[in-house]
Amino acid sequence: MRFIFADSLDTIDPGYDFLADRNGAGRTIHRDDQYPHEFLDDAPYDGILVSRGIVGDARHPGKYSEAQLMRFRREGARRFLRYPETRFPGSMMMGDCGAFTYRNLPAPPYSAEDTAEFYADGGFTHGCSPDHLIFDFDEPGADRSITDVPEDVRNRYEITLQNAAEFYHAGSRLGGGFTPMGVIQGWSTASMADAARSLADMGYDYLAIGGTVPLKIDQIRRVLAAMRNALPSRVRLHLLGFGKIEELSALEEFGVTSFDTTSPLLRAFKDAKKNYWMRTPSGDLSYYTAIRIPQATENNKLKQKALEGSLNQEDARLLEDAALKGVRAYAAGGATLEQGLDAVMDYWAALNWDEEVSPSRRADAAAKQRKVYADTLTDRPWEHCGCRVCREAGVEALIFRTSNRNKRRGIHNLHVFHTHLSEFRQP
Amino acid sequence: MTVFTFVAKAGDISRIARIERAGRDGEGLLTGFQRPQIAAHIREIRDYLEKPSAILPNPIVVAFLGRAHLEPPARPGAASRRLVIDVTDGPPGWIVDGQQRFTALAGLHGRDFEVLVSGFLCDTEEELQRQFILINNTRPLPKALVYELLPQVGDLPPRMSNRSQAALLTEALNYRTGSALKGLIKQQTNPKGVIRDTVLQRVIMNSLSDGALRLYAGDDALLLDKGVGLISEYWHAVRTVFAADWDNKTPKDSRLIHGTGIVALGYVMDYLNGVTGAETRDEFAKGLRLLRGKTAWSDGEWDFGSERRRWNGLQNVPADVRQLTFYLLQVIKTELAAQARAA
Repeated sequence: MRFIFADSLDTIDPGYDFLADRNGAGRTIHRDDQYPHEFLDDAPYDGILVSRGIVGDARHPGKYSEAQLMRFRREGARRFLRYPETRFPGSMMMGDCGAFTYRNLPAPPYSAEDTAEFYADGGFTHGCSPDHLIFDFDEPGADRSITDVPEDVRNRYEITLQNAAEFYHAGSRLGGGFTPMGVIQGWSTASMADAARSLADMGYDYLAIGGTVPLKIDQIRRVLAAMRNALPSRVRLHLLGFGKIEELSALEEFGVTSFDTTSPLLRAFKDAKKNYWMRTPSGDLSYYTAIRIPQATENNKLKQKALEGSLNQEDARLLEDAALKGVRAYAAGGATLEQGLDAVMDYWAALNWDEEVSPSRRADAAAKQRKVYADTLTDRPWEHCGCRVCREAGVEALIFRTSNRNKRRGIHNLHVFHTHLSEFRQP
Repeated sequence: MTVFTFVAKAGDISRIARIERAGRDGEGLLTGFQRPQIAAHIREIRDYLEKPSAILPNPIVVAFLGRAHLEPPARPGAASRRLVIDVTDGPPGWIVDGQQRFTALAGLHGRDFEVLVSGFLCDTEEELQRQFILINNTRPLPKALVYELLPQVGDLPPRMSNRSQAALLTEALNYRTGSALKGLIKQQTNPKGVIRDTVLQRVIMNSLSDGALRLYAGDDALLLDKGVGLISEYWHAVRTVFAADWDNKTPKDSRLIHGTGIVALGYVMDYLNGVTGAETRDEFAKGLRLLRGKTAWSDGEWDFGSERRRWNGLQNVPADVRQLTFYLLQVIKTELAAQARAA
């Protein structure tokens, strides 16, 4: 089972200076930054997925700058991402349209032709047909037929199949190094199974299941079971945007060939609690909570308080400084756990000051938070991980602050997840 | 109103004056006047102050509203007088100008700067606010003039040094003998030019970060030699291939001279250099000629496939630049592929 990482310029500056909180001297964006596969000793994934929605194109800006977009199209994905086949043999370079970015449009802004063009320019090994998201999902036994669903759902279903038919031909012109993938969308297990059969009939032997992001794991299991019933076993399956990564066994059970996700990276800064991952001796994923010490003068919430005049920035900076020093001193053995926690919680109290909440509720919240942080600091997980992030950044990787620390923690999570997956894959 | 000046260290200033930011009290009344700290600005100042050559010639301005007075001169006609400040209830003064500089100074480790302080005593809070507004309501220099001055100075913050390299090349292209763009670039000091300097700087910055000039980035000597040479060769080719849309035209009557065309053609330069290896005007012209008959720089319509646009319907906005660039590159790519098949 192959794990494909969905990238959106997730790089870090290897020369970032944690003490001064700034980029390395003379650092140039992208050129001097590193992707997870460059920074870690081993690539923490088996392939990279790049969405058209992230790269952008003529009519739709993406996350790339205009100059980066032009370079990507000129040099191709592997050169742009510095992910050469020679160094990462057998790796997948997969493209899709990023259906989520245009979910609100009546139809995808991309055609089969220009999508094939994008894959050709990018030198992709795999590419998805241009699909359109369907958000409805029927409960078991309540499957609606195609005449019962709203017109918008029917349109999206038909557009996805029509595009796949056109894309199979457009994609076949890209030569033998390219595998076209037909995307399945549907509002029920039955409609998705029908779509899968149609795609296999068109000639596809690798299908990608879309629209599963909002689904619960038992719904995903039902979808996978329906796929396997509908399809000959030679047809491979990819699960697009798989967020329930704790449930790998479901994918294994139904013979999923590959899946993509950004979860390990994103959860490092989107998940309030489970943001630093580790693997227990028994082979499960478990989590720590990183310690929030936001930048006093750059954090938006604090900036707003300063604008209103309810926060004195000079005071906040002193608390911030003391919190950082406290955590670092604790990590280095120069302060006790309680001293470190006191400094962190003093800043926490200033940050979370809210006139609406009663003093007792505030004290409860602070006690809870202190306990969570105490768990992290007591176990010193950064000392038990051998990845380059933890080796070099140490306790800084456990501080929730600035993109360079947060993305490093995400890269550590990718490392943990990939290790977990490799162990899992062995019988 | 009494005005005076003295020298002090950041630590001393913080004992006599504070920063009071604008805010509302419980009744909604406005208090204070300063804006919040600007983190990036403070960091830039601090980076500068850490250099051994740093000086801070402009003073921090501090106002006092009571709790400070000047003693009478020790002897008649003496130039200096003693300033007496009562700090028993905390610092009584307000920093009226220089809060970002002051904050940067306060965060500086290992170096104790002496800075000039201009102080004044005022009678009312209104007077204080008036001075704050008057002092802080100056107009910054025009960007274009700043850019033009950049190449003259080294050791600038990184934010400016990218622009500085682009400005350096733009200047060379505008004044060097033999340059395809000699005299054509509109600068503060060359108002009769037709191509905006900021537009050309964008082309150069794009190429420095992601295009042909990437090879030479970081080396001013190489940029001034090979970099300027490459760009000049390219625009020689553009002028030749599209002579009818270039000669005696202005941005108003040709999109070739206009921001949209210049930036899009900048990407074409990077493409031809990157894909066909073009470096000389002849090599570039070979690629550009593939576009002949497919352009509408100064009349007619562009046929973008999905839509048609009148020649002057293109504006210098990112979407139009991308649209035009994609179109031009598509034509070139298709023609190159056809040539490859024929060969």
